[in-house]
Amino acid sequence: MVQRLNRRSLLRGAGGIAIAMPWLEIMGHPTTARAGRANVARKFVTVYTPGGSVVDNGEGENRWRPTGTENDFELSAILAPLEPVKDKLLVVDGLRMASAVGEQHQAGIIAWLTGTTQQGGGFSGGPSLDQVIATRTLGQYSKTSIQMAVRWGTGKSHGLLDPINAANYEDNENFDPIPPRLDPQAMFEAFFATLDPDNGGEAAARIARKQSILDFVDRRYDSLAPGLGAADKQKIEQHLDKIRELEQALDNDIVASDVCQTPTAVDTSDYDPTTGLESSDTGSVVNESTDAAIPKVGQFMMDMLVMALACEITPVASLQWSDTEAKHTFPWLDLPQHHHYYQHDGGFRPLELEQIQVWYSQQHAYLLGAMDAVDMGGHTLLDESVVFFGSELAQPPSHSKENMPFLVAGGGGGLRGGRFLRNEAIPDNSHNNLLVAILNLFGDDSQVFGDPSYCSGPLSGLT
Amino acid sequence: MLFCGMGVLRTGAVVGLALLAGCYSGKHLEAGGGTDPDAGASSGGADESSGDESGGEASCLPEGSSERATLRRLTRQEYNNTVRDLLGDATLPANALPSEELANGFGNDADAQAVSSLLAEQYNAVAEDIAERATETSAKLAELASCAADITETSDTASADSCAAQLIEDFLRRAYRRPVTATEVDELIALSALIRDETDFATGIAGVLEAVLQSPDFLYRVERGYLDDAGRRRPTGHEMATRLSYFFWGTMPDDDLGEAADAGELTESDSILSHAERMLDDDRSRPMVRFFFNNLLPISSLASLERDADRYPTYTPAIGALMREETQHFLAYEIFEGTETWDGVLTAPYTFVNESLAEFYGLSGVQGDAFVKVDLDTSQRLGLLTQAGVVAGTIHSNETNPVVRGAFVMRKLMCTEIPLPEGDVLEDIKPPDPDSGATARERYGQHSSDPVCAGCHSLMDPIGLTLENFDPVGLWRDTENGVTIDATGAVPGVAPVDGPVELVQTIASAPRTHTCFAQRWSEFAYGRTHRADHACTLERLDAEFNDSGHDIRQLLLDLTQTDDFLFMPPEGT
Repeated sequence: MVQRLNRRSLLRGAGGIAIAMPWLEIMGHPTTARAGRANVARKFVTVYTPGGSVVDNGEGENRWRPTGTENDFELSAILAPLEPVKDKLLVVDGLRMASAVGEQHQAGIIAWLTGTTQQGGGFSGGPSLDQVIATRTLGQYSKTSIQMAVRWGTGKSHGLLDPINAANYEDNENFDPIPPRLDPQAMFEAFFATLDPDNGGEAAARIARKQSILDFVDRRYDSLAPGLGAADKQKIEQHLDKIRELEQALDNDIVASDVCQTPTAVDTSDYDPTTGLESSDTGSVVNESTDAAIPKVGQFMMDMLVMALACEITPVASLQWSDTEAKHTFPWLDLPQHHHYYQHDGGFRPLELEQIQVWYSQQHAYLLGAMDAVDMGGHTLLDESVVFFGSELAQPPSHSKENMPFLVAGGGGGLRGGRFLRNEAIPDNSHNNLLVAILNLFGDDSQVFGDPSYCSGPLSGLT
Repeated sequence: MLFCGMGVLRTGAVVGLALLAGCYSGKHLEAGGGTDPDAGASSGGADESSGDESGGEASCLPEGSSERATLRRLTRQEYNNTVRDLLGDATLPANALPSEELANGFGNDADAQAVSSLLAEQYNAVAEDIAERATETSAKLAELASCAADITETSDTASADSCAAQLIEDFLRRAYRRPVTATEVDELIALSALIRDETDFATGIAGVLEAVLQSPDFLYRVERGYLDDAGRRRPTGHEMATRLSYFFWGTMPDDDLGEAADAGELTESDSILSHAERMLDDDRSRPMVRFFFNNLLPISSLASLERDADRYPTYTPAIGALMREETQHFLAYEIFEGTETWDGVLTAPYTFVNESLAEFYGLSGVQGDAFVKVDLDTSQRLGLLTQAGVVAGTIHSNETNPVVRGAFVMRKLMCTEIPLPEGDVLEDIKPPDPDSGATARERYGQHSSDPVCAGCHSLMDPIGLTLENFDPVGLWRDTENGVTIDATGAVPGVAPVDGPVELVQTIASAPRTHTCFAQRWSEFAYGRTHRADHACTLERLDAEFNDSGHDIRQLLLDLTQTDDFLFMPPEGT
């Protein structure tokens, strides 16, 4: 009981300070990871797109790879939309996703951020990089991390969490897969409702009520756990941890400022975020209205993602464009079949895939541009961030994981953009080495990440 | 180049079992007519039937004890039903919660119910909304406790306190599905008073509802149990009422069950059975049966299934919706009025159609929107697996695919685990081009000619090929692209068959089919994925299912008579 009271008073102490900063820092406890290193990355963003890219168009041509040297290179047709942010972009070519062992798509999305193999046809064998960064290096925020996904749960997963669509895994003993947020309106409410200045008094009263309510809920979980068997106890304690996260979020006031602005609300009534629940295994069920709204919803989610970072609501965000099945259509590109159809279900269609990949590059350019437009005081939001863009495989028809089409962007932790890393001469080019190198940018000096048998040490050349 | 990977199989997590290094041989399948083909995967095939050769691994627990059951959390559907019955809130609020893991295929696998930050946040948001709706008018409040109608801004603290106490005690007992202690009630009275002092009576009550709806006692099916005279640990009467109610009705116990629990009736197996009979006969069990089959069969998405209108001009998604209704109507009839057996479902020489669906099938003489029983042309169709929705719901958009049809039957209905391709095979896999052959048999020919593919595909394709007379919208065809369809195939490990009618007869007569059906129901009813250590329970269910002539309702009742349902594991496990 004493411990609980201490914890709450500690939280209240942090909450009383109106500036949104990680409370550990305010309390004068720099995180261990940060100690001793001046320039560490402060924000981590992951962006997933399905089906790799066109790293081989069937005639041996890599339509994704830039041409030129490390410091003097031309972006490919697929990457051309990223030209405006090229100087903050690090193209990381030549890596192999060696830890992706298991079902071809599932093992790919699992390994992408965890560097572990698929466990017995199930999920991951370790936490994902974003969760490790969130829990071990960045201190505490209103939300430890956020995961959002556009048009997710297509095809065989029928809208449910499954190895076929889960990229993020908790940094706990079960490595539980994390379901992404799907509803843009619910996200808007969850992240930005308290920013409404017209709502000040009522919002404060509501927060006070919520605190009392969660205090009660907290005690219920706390008192229930001891009488249970080990597995059930763990379940209840896990739930309690999440309740405490909510309590913490209430105690962290987010206030509007020049940097932190509520994004413009967007009407998404034509978009059904749970359309995956109606999906068929093969993508034969098409929701035309929802598919047509994907560009608008995606941009809205990116706007919210950027502000969630700028407002310091969270330091870690994941955006997932669909899932490894990607069984939705692209009406705005005049592509009436689903993405997986062009990948291989309908035979390999490199021209259509290139169109889709160019569009994803445009979206990524939008995100990076928006992050680069936020002035955090002498540097931009992108400058203090690391943004990792990837997929579950390199080449759709073969499901090959050689030459993964990875992009890293930003300037956090001394990351240097405007470069093209070929990695062609590296014999051990497992992508786990990139994961641990990214972790290093956050001040964690680990030498291994994920399954150690696929990791020989941090990839050099990021800084 | 290999053509064998289709990327269309159910994911490993559906069955939650280790991937096999290779596929079963036909011999193994024949030998494995017993209980648990999956356990053989991990224990090297030592599980066949009665456990006599399993060296203790499958040894049964002493009678009167249960396998460890994991704490179950309400699924989204159960949450919706529960707040409907608890507060009259029929807005389906739990649809805003993050999705469950697919896991055992029914979304209720207790081992796959992790708690994410988002889930806790959404429980919080959903509870706030429900509480607000339940307290927004004086009339709504009065539904919770009649005294609330008399509470106004001018009411004195004493009458507000006394009304709050009355309301909270009654609500808490129903929300927690058990008797509650004075301490539990007092704590919430204090919470309501704390909030009321800053706001008003209704907001104070709303705060209580919001808190209770997030409590573990509400969200989880917490079971403490008690030791009976023989020292066995059993669920209390109220815990048993909850077990029964969520199984048969997918919701909280009703007043009858609550009273039976209060009266101590729910501790003996025969009184539990008589309540189970009452509940199964009640119409409230129908949605549960429907939910089970919607998840077992590939029919849940038929209402939005699209097909190329030029190639299949008589098909529309509206017809797809009617196909699903056909199957559900048929199942309800067969289970509650017809033969009541799984064999009957699989081989019924009739189905149900209305006028529009009859026209689609090319049947005459049916009028109106109501579904009526019609005889099938039994040279073409027989039973569930030949219904248009079941054969159309499995497949690729505009081409049939014997792999997915076969995989559905083998995995879902015969519980045969088929590994997904991995390792070296992966790099070479490419599915066939739609134009690579006139018939599916030609397009998927490499699956049988190439031994690398055949190892696994011989478990799926032979079933799918016997269903090739059904086109992608489930209509009969004799030819594909001008070539006469060869519908010969096999039920792997059972017998060769020619055409769909022989197929369903062979499936219906295979013991494995019925063991699997019992397994699927036990997974759904007990909220778990079948594992080797559930073998004893399944063995018993399977034997009883056989004894009853595969009576489906009897199986559902038998599920309430196992040690796993009647007892609990010893404390601390």
